[in-house]
Amino acid sequence: MAIAFSPTSETLLREATKYTLLFQAELILIHVGNHSVVEEEKMKALLKAVTVQPIILWRKGSPTEEILKACQQEGIDLLVAGALKKENLLQMYIGTVARKIMRKANCSVLLIQNPEAEESPIQNIVVNAEDSPFIEQAIEVGCYIGQLQKAQWIHITRELKLLGLALSANEQCTEDEYHESMQGMVREEVIEVEKILGKIPHQNLKVNIKMLSGKSGYELAKFSERKKADLLIVGAPERRFYLLDRIFPHDLEYIFANLPCSLLVVNFRKQSKNG
Amino acid sequence: MGKLSHADVVHLLIQLSIMLLLGRLLSEGLRKFKQPAVIGEIIAGILLGPTILGMINPEWFHALYPVPSATATVLTGFVQVAVIMLLFIAGLEVDLHIVWQQGRKAISTSLLGLIVPFSFGFVFPYLFPDFFGIADKHEQLTFALFMGTAMAISALPVIVRILMDLNLFKSKMGMLVVTSAMIDDVVGWLIFSVILGMIGKRGDAMSIFNTVVLTISFVVLTLTIGRGLLNRILPWINKKLAWPGGVLSISLALCFLGAAFTEYIGLHAIFGAFIIGVAFGDSKHFSERAKEIVHQFINNIFAPLFFVSIGLRVNFITNFDFALTAAIVAIAFAGKIIGSGLGTRLGGFSWRESIAASFGMNARGAMEIILGLVALENGLINERVFVSLVIMALITSITSGPLMKWVLKK
Repeated sequence: MAIAFSPTSETLLREATKYTLLFQAELILIHVGNHSVVEEEKMKALLKAVTVQPIILWRKGSPTEEILKACQQEGIDLLVAGALKKENLLQMYIGTVARKIMRKANCSVLLIQNPEAEESPIQNIVVNAEDSPFIEQAIEVGCYIGQLQKAQWIHITRELKLLGLALSANEQCTEDEYHESMQGMVREEVIEVEKILGKIPHQNLKVNIKMLSGKSGYELAKFSERKKADLLIVGAPERRFYLLDRIFPHDLEYIFANLPCSLLVVNFRKQSKNG
Repeated sequence: MGKLSHADVVHLLIQLSIMLLLGRLLSEGLRKFKQPAVIGEIIAGILLGPTILGMINPEWFHALYPVPSATATVLTGFVQVAVIMLLFIAGLEVDLHIVWQQGRKAISTSLLGLIVPFSFGFVFPYLFPDFFGIADKHEQLTFALFMGTAMAISALPVIVRILMDLNLFKSKMGMLVVTSAMIDDVVGWLIFSVILGMIGKRGDAMSIFNTVVLTISFVVLTLTIGRGLLNRILPWINKKLAWPGGVLSISLALCFLGAAFTEYIGLHAIFGAFIIGVAFGDSKHFSERAKEIVHQFINNIFAPLFFVSIGLRVNFITNFDFALTAAIVAIAFAGKIIGSGLGTRLGGFSWRESIAASFGMNARGAMEIILGLVALENGLINERVFVSLVIMALITSITSGPLMKWVLKK
């Protein structure tokens, strides 16, 4: 977890601890900046709030670069950071530390939005099963967390791409054929998700497979807000995003710009590389 | 406002109804063979126009579609509006979101699919302008540039339908083909806008430079500031105004305004409509449902009027030149198959998939016909070239699906 001694650090640390216990993992705290007695004291005070004993890394330099470097050196599986719901215009183009990490990290990243002081279980999970080489892993993580947290719902979303264009291009059909073609498109997507779900344990979970159409990331964020999701899980995109992707936002950039809830970006690239 | 006589009103309504009815009838016939409606509509025009009806019974033809007449002027107005609307929906179809999602891979694929056919289309007419029926010998460069653009453009709806038929629409290859076609269209219409600005300038570097600057400035401003404004007003429209009435009227009003603006600053009206369409299509607040409604409204009312009107104004028999048509069809096939084939191959697909994708991208459809008609109206090409381009558009659209299927089944 990246820690900056901000007012939300304590609650953020509690959240990170929750995931550490959930995944039976080891917690490593990274602080980039001064390392003096003052910081040591602050850290000690913070750690009183949690039950786990984390490893602490003190680094100096550019926060983004140091955090990413530490992730690589320490073989981090999941990087946790706090994030504001919305970036202002300047932040959006220049990028805050949290968003920069999100765009560049080579491991999974959990951005916690509005960390809560009171620990509350995850009730609603939205998993995006689209536009990523890690769709299966994202669903698997979603089901795992859902089962452990006894979540109420896990919503798995797929996308009907360019629906308006697809339906209007399909001009030469009768009303029945039109509806059949629409239902066929939905059916195909549901089958795809069911195929993946067949391989993943998801007992006792209420699964809702939902089709979205429109601009992928934007519709996904809207759906997550509508469902009052506690956690949105997406697979890491195939390629990294750059400034141009922010000027003409698409997919995850819409979500980065306006986080609907906490966001987990599942990225197994590190594992894939290591076999 | 001018007034039509009672007889003119009756005449105009009969003209419109015959065009829509025959267009629909023939499109329905072609539906059985899974062919796009535009083919039926073009044939309907040929049957109603000087080619068939005018040849069998010239009196009937002149009685039905007299020129000059008040009804002919009104009909021309309808057709003009139809072209602008068609370009608006062509713009709506361009989804910049998908283009950015596909990233650099799609750009390299589409550029090859654009450069190779453009070069083929440019070189031959430039070297043999007389054979290719140049309309104005002083416009050799502009003419060759136009022919290049005509070869480079593609018909996105035809491609989408074929990919859906083959269940490839959402596949990696399908998305790459669709994205490349979108990029080809944007670049194609950009070049065409500049070409239209070059007509009559006889290579005057300064005025060509001005046209290029105007075109690029319009695109950049519309897609940045214009798009930003749209993203602010569309949520208000969706929330406060009647649906879909509000979004329909305002989108078309802005389309006409954009078209009027580009026409005023010396670019063609269709270019304004196209870019405004791109800006609307890119907005996250313009829903897929709204897109479909706009599409259906224009595709089934205004598009048939436009495509049937093509056959009414041009004689497809007297202007048919076999050698020219064969040459244009051959260049069109060779350019797209080599260019898009290589582009898709570089995109990481097998040779077979690449050739199949290139057959898909080969469909020119409605866009080619609009492009040809605007060039004809601006005196850039003659009716012989126009007829050949229409035939090329029909052949490439008809063959694209079966050829793609055949290659993938092999």
